[in-house]
Amino acid sequence: MTAVPKTVLVVDDAGLVRVYYRSILEEAGFRVEEALNGLEALEILLARPVDLLVVDINMPQMDGLTFLGTLREKEGSIASIPALVTSTESADADFAAARAAGANYYLVKPVEREQLVEFARMLCGVRS
Amino acid sequence: MTERPALTEDEFRRLCEYLYRRTGMVFTEAKRYYVERRVWERMAETGAASFAGYFALLRTDTRDEIQQFVNAFTVNETYFYREEYQLKCLTNDLMTERVSDKQAGDPIRIWSAACSTGEEPYSIAIWLLENWSRVDEYFIEIVGSDIDTRVLELARAGTFGKRALMRLPAELIGKYFQELSAERWQIEAQLRDSVSFTPVNLVEPGQTRQHGQFDVIFCRNVLIYFDDTSRRLAAENLYDNLLPGGFICLGHSESMSRISPLFDVRRFADAIVYQRPGTRT
Amino acid sequence: MPLVRKPTQPAEPPKASAGEVLAGLASANPEARWTAARAAAELADSAGALAAALPQETDARVREAMFTSLARIGTRESLRAMLPMLRSNDAALRTGALDALCSSHFAAHELLPQLLSDPDVDVRILSCELARSLPSEDASRSLCTLLDREAEVNVCAAAIEVLAEVGNQAALPALERCAQRFPQVPFLTFAIRLATDRIRAAGSRD
Repeated sequence: MTAVPKTVLVVDDAGLVRVYYRSILEEAGFRVEEALNGLEALEILLARPVDLLVVDINMPQMDGLTFLGTLREKEGSIASIPALVTSTESADADFAAARAAGANYYLVKPVEREQLVEFARMLCGVRS
Repeated sequence: MTERPALTEDEFRRLCEYLYRRTGMVFTEAKRYYVERRVWERMAETGAASFAGYFALLRTDTRDEIQQFVNAFTVNETYFYREEYQLKCLTNDLMTERVSDKQAGDPIRIWSAACSTGEEPYSIAIWLLENWSRVDEYFIEIVGSDIDTRVLELARAGTFGKRALMRLPAELIGKYFQELSAERWQIEAQLRDSVSFTPVNLVEPGQTRQHGQFDVIFCRNVLIYFDDTSRRLAAENLYDNLLPGGFICLGHSESMSRISPLFDVRRFADAIVYQRPGTRT
Repeated sequence: MPLVRKPTQPAEPPKASAGEVLAGLASANPEARWTAARAAAELADSAGALAAALPQETDARVREAMFTSLARIGTRESLRAMLPMLRSNDAALRTGALDALCSSHFAAHELLPQLLSDPDVDVRILSCELARSLPSEDASRSLCTLLDREAEVNVCAAAIEVLAEVGNQAALPALERCAQRFPQVPFLTFAIRLATDRIRAAGSRD
């Protein structure tokens, strides 16, 4: 039996980052959706749920932490989609802020292929 | 006709990203064919020899190329019952929510904020009269506005040609229009008199504020032409013109996500719509 | 017929005074702060008050209106007033400031050189985005100058992201040098290759 592929929504305003993550995640068997900011991500999630969010922090219109905080307050299963937060910042205060907003894990950019795949699988409950 | 190669993945992606950033329009994979065709049309028109060459023109907005490109998707030519999915959403969902705390006889205010020659506000009026079972319970005020006073004059006159009426069944044309001459119809007087037309520049809070607050605003294919600051300002003006809980409908490919975080996004069966938060007190 | 038309045209409401704006910005009521923040755009002198109020503002909508007003005022003072916010620990504040700065063409010309040389890594990362507002050649030049002296990977990544859109043929050497300085960072290798491909495609047009 073939497993249904898990879908990842990559939320990052940097186009090159999205292309990079897409190529890595698709190669690892995931389906990928993209959003350029937190508002677009919220809009996409209304139309189709996903299995994992990969969310950057610094984005226009709505930053990643505001997006995550908003999402976690919503009703229904959409509020508990696992979220991997990525950021250029590596201070403890930044980890704490991400956790407080509802991140399940935090990776410092630039994100490496192996890390992204490993944590995507882990957070989606996919065997490696 | 020379061969027209398809856009590569990367070219399509670059174009969509750029247009989203500049205009707020979202072009998905589903629209690829239309986007490609438009690129070919514009390449032929501008003499660009390659996608990269055309993209450079677009990036620099040479001779208003962004507007030229986008025009094909906004359909300058307006007609009755265009974007019927939003009219359906209006009667299937939006009106129900808006009247949930209104009494019989209360006003419902609807604003067509880029009404051009009037097809949109008149369409809303006819649609409500024909499709909303509760239309007689409330006083419905429909306001049409545009920055262009010439089109407002035409809207007030309410005469239209065959193309504008092409989506309307004959029964509705007979009911709401008077045939003036061969292929020229006029909205019947009572309906014409019940829609008001007024000039408004959406970027001027002094002009928008005075029209009060609305239950539903239609603002289709206008914000895409503004620069970033003007777009933000227009969104704030429109927000102020909405009642708490009121709705705003944008054009089919437009998204508020590039424009402003002021509104909540709501997904209904027929349409995605934006809402000013809060309930009426 | 349930459709009604209101014939009266209400008068334009009077503009708020500076005193009213200041009082409004300090109000405990977010509606009052929203109104004051919007009215402040008409008063160039209110840039300082807006900038002072922003870091304390907890209501996202009021914050948005404050940033819009600062962008609309558009003076050197109002734009500079947002610079400290780029360093904020509050993601919403720093991205809000960047959005407002990016909407001003004046800001890019005026502020970009100093921002790209800022000692704060995070400020340099954010500021690359501002280069998009410049004419392509200027943007490309500024970002290449940055690339050649930049040691931080994420700043390079931000610069390459914008160069992928605005870069011209003259940017290719700087991109190549950057690839050679960071062979151990796969994302940079990837990004530089993609940016280079895009720039080359543009250069090959007739």
